[in-house]
Amino acid sequence: MPEAEAIRLAQAGNATAFERLYRLHNRRVYSLCLRMVGNTAEAEDLTQEAFLQLFRKIATFRGESAFSTWLHRLAVNVVLMRLRKKSATETSLDEMTEPDEESGGPRRDFGSPDLRLSGSIDRVNLQRAVEKLPPGYKAVFVLHDVQGYEHNEIAEIMECSIGNSKSQLHKARMRLRELLHESLRDKAREDRKAAGSAGGED
Amino acid sequence: MATISCRDFQTQHEGTNDALRDVSAQAHIRDCASCRSFIEDLGAIRSVAHSLEPADAEPPARIWVSLRAQLEEEGIIRNAAPKSWFVERFGGWFNSLPRPALAGAYLCALLAIAFGLSGPINARINRQRWLDGTESSTTPLSAHLMSAEQASFSSPVASESPVTASLHKNLEIVDNYISLCENSVREEPDNEEARDYLYGAYQQKADLLAQMSERRLNAEAPGQ
Repeated sequence: MPEAEAIRLAQAGNATAFERLYRLHNRRVYSLCLRMVGNTAEAEDLTQEAFLQLFRKIATFRGESAFSTWLHRLAVNVVLMRLRKKSATETSLDEMTEPDEESGGPRRDFGSPDLRLSGSIDRVNLQRAVEKLPPGYKAVFVLHDVQGYEHNEIAEIMECSIGNSKSQLHKARMRLRELLHESLRDKAREDRKAAGSAGGED
Repeated sequence: MATISCRDFQTQHEGTNDALRDVSAQAHIRDCASCRSFIEDLGAIRSVAHSLEPADAEPPARIWVSLRAQLEEEGIIRNAAPKSWFVERFGGWFNSLPRPALAGAYLCALLAIAFGLSGPINARINRQRWLDGTESSTTPLSAHLMSAEQASFSSPVASESPVTASLHKNLEIVDNYISLCENSVREEPDNEEARDYLYGAYQQKADLLAQMSERRLNAEAPGQ
């Protein structure tokens, strides 16, 4: 059943059409949720919630944007709401530390990191760092760098300007870079400590 | 050649992957170790980020089952089949039956379901339908058996007798057997033999619970 037909039938309450739409998009939505929250149980819950909201509103879908964009907008909103609710204080603190583009606040300097990330980071490190990003940055990073959406698509999904999407992505990457450097420095420190204590035992 | 500043370089690079096509940006990173390291780091992040996208992240089947149930409950799915024929047909009946009849009723219901679902497999029905069909009949069964089990355990009567202890031990074994059978059915939902074993296991549990229920009723009866 083609997607357009499934949408039309789902608007009339057809169970098979709902299932078809779910099967067409569930992997992408689940994957987005999984990368955003880093926890399978929560990702399952959010996937269900996103589809539930979608199906509740499906009668209002008029096809002004692509169905997948509409669905992703809902999914991103569901995840962001959850993340913001979960760690309101933590999130607002994180976001407050980021310079405001509009107000011309100071930009973060590149600095001169003492360790190179190339060859030192893996999926686990990166996922951990992504989990520490503020929700807005995390969404843009996952959509662009993980899922491969273009800025114009992200702008539509997140209901923001293309420039805003680019700026958020840049800040997300900069923050990730810092987090990854921090973790590399911590690891190097631990290694030194372990080597020191092993030497002391000899 | 005059190159751009680090700040301009950063602005140019903001949120894009192709800033380095610009000649002035290329010249800048040749001379600036800090920006070179920045570009290398972002490249490393991007390349690992691509690998974060799972190639085949199929969400578990229970999400659709639960979603569908919710959609039916809210009336969003309007042409759905009855949610559970077993519960609709027998739910109220179970509750109104006296306890001794209940114990026997488990057996009758189990046998009827096992007989009905172990019929010839229609080749056109796919695995998911088998799984959904099996789950829609086993879920209410499992719930009813669990509540009967809780009733047996909560009874203070004869709880210390060796026979009761043995029945409880057997119940544990049967529960393990049921979970093994459930796993087999989930792996091969259209395997008739696996489903037969599962219904057989439920039947054994119903047998045990019926025995336990009878013992409890005999012990509770006045004058005994």
